Amino acid sequence: MIIEDGREILIRVRELAKSFGSHQIWESLSLDVYRGEILAIVGGSGQGKSVLMRVITGLVQPDKGIVTLFGEEEHTLTPQARLAIEKRWGILFQDGALFSSLTVLQNIQVPMREHLDLPQSMMDDLALLKLSMVGLPPEAAHKFPSELSGGMRKRAGLARALALDPEIVFLDEPTAGLDPIGATEFDHLIRKLQQTLGLTVYMVTHDLDTIFTVCDRVAVLADKKIVRTGSPAELQSNPDHPWIEEYFCGERARAASPAEERRVVG
Amino acid sequence: MLKRDNQFVLQTETEAPGFRVELRGTTFRLVATGAWTVTEATVLDEELKRLKVPIPPSSDFTGEMDISGIAEIDTAGAWLLQRTAGAWQRGGLKTRYAGATDSFRILIEEVHRRGQTEKPEIDTVTPLQQILDTTQTSLTSIWSDAVALTSFLGEVSAASVRLVREPWRFRPISFIHHLDHAGLRALPIIFLICFLIGAVVMQQGVVQLSYFGAEPMAVNMVAILSLREVGILLTSIMVAGRSGSAFTAEIGSMKMREEIDAMRTLGIDPMDTLVLPRVAALVVALPLLTFMGDIAALAGGGVMAWVMLGLEPPIYIDKLQEIISFRHFMVGMIKAPFAAVVIALVGCLEGLRVQGSAESLGSHVTAAVVKAIFLVICIDGIFAMFLAGIGQ
Repeated sequence: MIIEDGREILIRVRELAKSFGSHQIWESLSLDVYRGEILAIVGGSGQGKSVLMRVITGLVQPDKGIVTLFGEEEHTLTPQARLAIEKRWGILFQDGALFSSLTVLQNIQVPMREHLDLPQSMMDDLALLKLSMVGLPPEAAHKFPSELSGGMRKRAGLARALALDPEIVFLDEPTAGLDPIGATEFDHLIRKLQQTLGLTVYMVTHDLDTIFTVCDRVAVLADKKIVRTGSPAELQSNPDHPWIEEYFCGERARAASPAEERRVVG
Repeated sequence: MLKRDNQFVLQTETEAPGFRVELRGTTFRLVATGAWTVTEATVLDEELKRLKVPIPPSSDFTGEMDISGIAEIDTAGAWLLQRTAGAWQRGGLKTRYAGATDSFRILIEEVHRRGQTEKPEIDTVTPLQQILDTTQTSLTSIWSDAVALTSFLGEVSAASVRLVREPWRFRPISFIHHLDHAGLRALPIIFLICFLIGAVVMQQGVVQLSYFGAEPMAVNMVAILSLREVGILLTSIMVAGRSGSAFTAEIGSMKMREEIDAMRTLGIDPMDTLVLPRVAALVVALPLLTFMGDIAALAGGGVMAWVMLGLEPPIYIDKLQEIISFRHFMVGMIKAPFAAVVIALVGCLEGLRVQGSAESLGSHVTAAVVKAIFLVICIDGIFAMFLAGIGQ
C-alpha cells in the first residue's frame, strides 16, 4: 500500500513508454490514481488513452516503465496474486463487451462464478440487486445483450464490472454513443455508485459534461506523457498548454462548464 | 467495498466475519463483526439461514442490527443484513440498524431500496414440452428453409435477368476477387484430396478385384467413378466447406455491423454487390475445379496402378482413352454449375439471415455448410436417377 500526503495511491504508473511499430505513443508517462477519486483521462485521439487503460489492466505490455497496482508491482505478480488483483477491479468496455451468448443476469454472474463459490440463489439475488443499482428494470435480466439498446448494454456492462464490489472501476468512454439525457443519467449513476460503494473511478472520456459534473481530477495526455493533472476548474482557469486551452476553453467547454453558466446567469 | 471510517485496516487486525444474536432488555440484537464482503458471503449466508427468526413475546420487543463491529462491508454483506432484517420485520419485530457510519448507511439504504424489487418471472417448461417444442421448431424450420431458399433462388434469378438487360450493374472486380478466392486458391487442396482418393480407390479396387482375377478392371472402375461421381462430389464438398462458409461469414458479419442496411440506404442493392458476384464466381469456378479434381483423381489412380499393377503411365493413358467416353466426363461436369448455385445461394442466404450476435454468426456458418453439403448430395442423387432414366 502506498500512502502519500495521507491519501492512498491505488495505482501508480511510472515512466511508461510504448510504441506501436515506429509510432511512439508515450515516452515517459507517470500517473497516480488515489483511492476514492473520480479521475478522467483526456487527450486528443491517438494519444493512447485507451491503451493506457489496457496497460494498467495488463491487456497490453508496455515497452518500459512500472505499473504498481494496490501497492504491488505488476511485473512481479505471480498468477495467483494477479487473480486476487483482478477481483479488486471492474472494467466497463466501450460497448459493454457483454458475452453475447449469455443473458444479462448470467453476464453479471460470470465474475462471481469465476472467482467465488456462491450458491446459485444468492448469485441470482445479488445479480438482480446489481441490475437494479445500475438502473435496469428486472425484465432486462433474462434478455440477451443483442436485445438491449446501447445505453442498457452499458448499464449491464457496468453491473458486470460491479459484480464483485471492486475497489476501482475502469470506464472506457462511458457516455460515448448515449443521448444527452442518457449520458447525464449515466453521469449521475457513476457519481451515486461511487458514493454508495466507495469506488475509485478511472475513466477515459471525451465528454466535457461528464468531466465538469462528476470528475474530481483530470489527467491530460499530450506530448507523449501526462502533461497536467488537476481539477476541471483548475485546468480551465489556468490551462498553461495549447491543447488544454483548446479543450477546456473552447466553445463546447464554455457550454458545459458550470463556471461559465454562472457567469451567464449572473 | 467500504471500510469503517475509511481507516486503513490491515488484514491481521480484522476480526473474523461472523455474528451473534443476543437479547438485551426488549431488544433482539444481531451483532455483526468482521468483514461482511462477497468473499465471505457463502459462509455468512449458510449461518444466517440456520438462524431462526426470533419470535417476539410481545409487541414491545424490537430488533437491532448492530454493525458497529463490521470492519468492511459491500453490497453482498449489506444484502445479507437486509434479508435478515426483512425476515425479522415480517416476523413482527421492528428492526433498525445501529452503529453505521455515514458511508455504511448510504450503502445499506440503497440496498434496502433496491432489494424490494420483485424477481422477474421465468416460464418453466417441462422436459416433455421442451422436446415437443424442439421437434416442432425443427420441423417448421425445414419447411421455412425450403421456402426461403426457393424464394431466394427466385430473387437471384430475377436479378440475373435484370443483369442481362443492364450489364453495367455487374461488379467485375468483386467477381474476379471471388473467382480468385473460391477458385484459384482452392486448387491445391482439391488437387491433393482428389489425388489421394483416386489412389485409395484404385488400391482398394485392385485388392477386391484380385479375388476374381480382374485386377486390370480396377482402372475402368476408377476412371468412370472419378469422372462421374468422385471428382464432382469431393470438389463440391470441399468448396461448400471452404467458400460456402466464407460467404456466410463475410455477409453475416456485414449484416451484424449494419453494413448491409447502410448499402440499402445508399441505394446499393446487396443482391448486385454481394450475392450475384459470388454466385457467378462459383458457377465459373466449380466446373473448372471439378475438371482439375477429375484429372487429379485419375492421376492418383494412375500412380497406384503403376505401383500395384505395374501399369506404366503411357499404357495407363492408353487404357483410359479406351475406357472413357466424352459422355462420362459430361455426366460429372453437368452437375458442377448446379452444385455451385446451391452452395453460393445457401452461403449467401444464411449470411443474410445472421442476427446481431456472434453466436448467431457461428450457427449460421455451420448451417450453411451442412445444408450446402446435404443439398449437393441430393442434387447428385437426382441427377443419378435422371441420367439412369435417359439411359446415360
